[in-house]
Amino acid sequence: MVFSTLVFLFLYLPIVLLLYYLLPFRYRNLFLFLASLFFYGWGEPVYILLMLLTITVNYASGLLVDKYRDNDRLARCIVAASTVVSLGFLLYFKYADLLIGSCNSILGTSFPLLRLALPVGISFYTFQTMTYPIDIYRGDATVQRSYVSFGAYVALFPQLIAGPIVCYKDIDAQLNVREHSVGKFSAGAERFVTGLAKKVLLANGIGSLWDSYAAMSPSSLSAGGAWLGAVAFSLQIYFDFSGYSDMAIGMGKMLGFEFLENFNYPYISASVTEFWRRWHISLGSWFRDYVYIPLGGNRRGLPRQLLNLLIVWSLTGLWHGANWTFLLWGLYFAAFLIMEKLFLLQWLEKHRGIGHIYALLVAVCGWVIFQLDSVGEAVGYYRAMFGLGSARWGAGDLFLLRSYLPILLVALLGATPLPKKLWQRLPERLRGVLTPLLILLGLTVCTAKLTNDTYNPFLYFRF
Amino acid sequence: MKRETAEKITLLAFAGYLLVFFLLQFIIKDREFSARENRYLQMLPEFSFESLFKGSYTGDFEDYCADQFPFRDQWITLNARYELLSGKKQTNGIYLCEGERLIKPFTAPDENELERRVQAVELLREKLRVPLTLALIPDGAELYGEQLPEGAPNDSQGALIEQVRASTDIPMADLLTPLREGKAAGGCLFYRTDHHWTTLGAYYGYQGLSRSLGLTPRSLDSYNRLTVAGDFYGTAYSASGYTWVAPDSIERFVDPDEAATLTRYDSAEGTEVPLYREESLQSKDKYTYFLGGNSPRSVLRGTDDSLPRLLILRDSYCDALAPFLLEHYSEIHLLDMRYYLGSPEEYARENNIDQVLVLYSVANFCEQNSVFALAE
Repeated sequence: MVFSTLVFLFLYLPIVLLLYYLLPFRYRNLFLFLASLFFYGWGEPVYILLMLLTITVNYASGLLVDKYRDNDRLARCIVAASTVVSLGFLLYFKYADLLIGSCNSILGTSFPLLRLALPVGISFYTFQTMTYPIDIYRGDATVQRSYVSFGAYVALFPQLIAGPIVCYKDIDAQLNVREHSVGKFSAGAERFVTGLAKKVLLANGIGSLWDSYAAMSPSSLSAGGAWLGAVAFSLQIYFDFSGYSDMAIGMGKMLGFEFLENFNYPYISASVTEFWRRWHISLGSWFRDYVYIPLGGNRRGLPRQLLNLLIVWSLTGLWHGANWTFLLWGLYFAAFLIMEKLFLLQWLEKHRGIGHIYALLVAVCGWVIFQLDSVGEAVGYYRAMFGLGSARWGAGDLFLLRSYLPILLVALLGATPLPKKLWQRLPERLRGVLTPLLILLGLTVCTAKLTNDTYNPFLYFRF
Repeated sequence: MKRETAEKITLLAFAGYLLVFFLLQFIIKDREFSARENRYLQMLPEFSFESLFKGSYTGDFEDYCADQFPFRDQWITLNARYELLSGKKQTNGIYLCEGERLIKPFTAPDENELERRVQAVELLREKLRVPLTLALIPDGAELYGEQLPEGAPNDSQGALIEQVRASTDIPMADLLTPLREGKAAGGCLFYRTDHHWTTLGAYYGYQGLSRSLGLTPRSLDSYNRLTVAGDFYGTAYSASGYTWVAPDSIERFVDPDEAATLTRYDSAEGTEVPLYREESLQSKDKYTYFLGGNSPRSVLRGTDDSLPRLLILRDSYCDALAPFLLEHYSEIHLLDMRYYLGSPEEYARENNIDQVLVLYSVANFCEQNSVFALAE
């Protein structure tokens, strides 16, 4: 199920919230576990088994690691085995076809592709679960003896499909005790509607602008149009992804949980290093804690540090999708990050104005290779962006710019902390009056948009 | 207001909104048919483990929720208002233009595609022993293209017609010139809320056809013009969500009692029906007033047997036009190649046809697969 659908908003969510609050606390984790499995199985019921298997393997590993804590060798083996199983699932379901396809095209073999439906959220929950035995081993988390509570954590529907990546150690106390209050619920509702509006009104609203440019052949793209398209996609992916995180954090609050923040206005960064501290924070910290630092981080000399960065960013790239363009995208960032580590960052700190422009350019250009399906397409698009295309600007571009100008301006403003700052400067009384009104307005417009998405008139349109 | 009160109101606003629509879904009765969307809506799917594991159950269920969502039609209108407010002058591909005209812009196919379609007509022409004329009808996106928002993507249908003319030696009727003249003379040639031409538009089409078929068209003022409906909302209206625009009216030029019969062959047995179907004026799809709407095959018979026989391979634009041609032919045979499965060439032979007319709107000619059936 997806949050931004009528069936989620007006059937699943009200029923889950109602039952959750009607049940006494001790049954709530069980209920969340079952409700989340239902949520997960909605698209592909068979994958509930995969989810249960993942939960069971990691739950059991946690118990075993805790039990054999004194036998370091054995404990390490258990951690390694469970990590292999978790990564094995991810590799099989997400990357098998990429590997088979590449093998076929390089070696000329013809192994058939598996064409498996990707289990929803597998990239997210694999990262969550596989670190649980590691955290137990490291002593960063205490073992969870209740299968239900552990299952509720893994399958928890708010963050199941699109993050944030919630590590067990950040949430284990909340699984046993968490506070529910009117204040927390209303803050959650506010956050949820903000996220919904970001996703439905801004991300989807701008998405069609990018689509019109992505669909053009590179030869008919004008330079200005290519930039307009790339900026549109940069805004779309930010509002889409951060909107999902907002909805997750908001629903978490409504259910009594506090998740860590996942985005912090990435587009106001003055360096690429800063950008990645503000973009998808939970992924960045995951790679830092479970790959970069264990590899030695920056403690084993510069050459090793650079190698570590390359490894981390290759993996970060591939995590985003099973296509070599994502690897390229990761390495693209690695290049900038390495330059910044070596010399650029010091210089940028003295020239913050230039830093902002530079960081934005790197991010916007990066999204082109991220989103297009092949290197060839991306090269065509880059050529247009840098003036090697057909024209600088066309009448069609002007029309699109004019059609999307209001929403682009709102999105550009919304990508900065300014609206939030202005909001907080309003008197508290006024905010108290405005909040429910804005919530109702946001929900109303989103309902209209979501209904229109399903509008499917049968017209003998041309006849 | 104290903070606690504000928080309570916020909670109530959110939970109340969800709850109201949650409950309304159960209170409001499910509709089987949507007049606005002109289709049957998804009803509650029957549960079975088979459909669940095939994945069709949850998909159907989501469709069910969406189709039966309370005030569905009103939400679509609200969305159209929101889109306009946010700067977009179109929803669902339909542009809201000057004078409340709804236009779906034209996108030209690539050259190969167009060539293949022209070839289908050429193949038919080679097989026939009687003359064939091709007539492509430019639609409202061409005639009223200037009313689109500035810069909206809209390919020229005039240029496409010229491209076809240059690529083939099939005789082609020029409908664009008389339509342009008609527009200059005033009057509405295409419905504002529908893709079809009005009866007046069809009249100018008839003029254009007359020039290449060698007929002497009647003058516009010789008709007894009658407005038969004033509340016509067409396909562009349904597709868009711009439900606040004013309706169109439908006119009739040719009197039904000009001694003609219309036989529809919806099945093997033909049934004689009136030239104009009065019941259509009470229904949603009022354009079917003309000739009663789509039919695989229908035949119009005039009174003067000495006149030639015409075969039109047609789309629905022909419905409004055919009555004008009636006085020039003894029989007009209409084949809709989407539904008629036989060969048009055989048909022409068997029915002693004297002249064949391939009559499609530009957009239909470029999109409809039935064009390829012409060559069979």
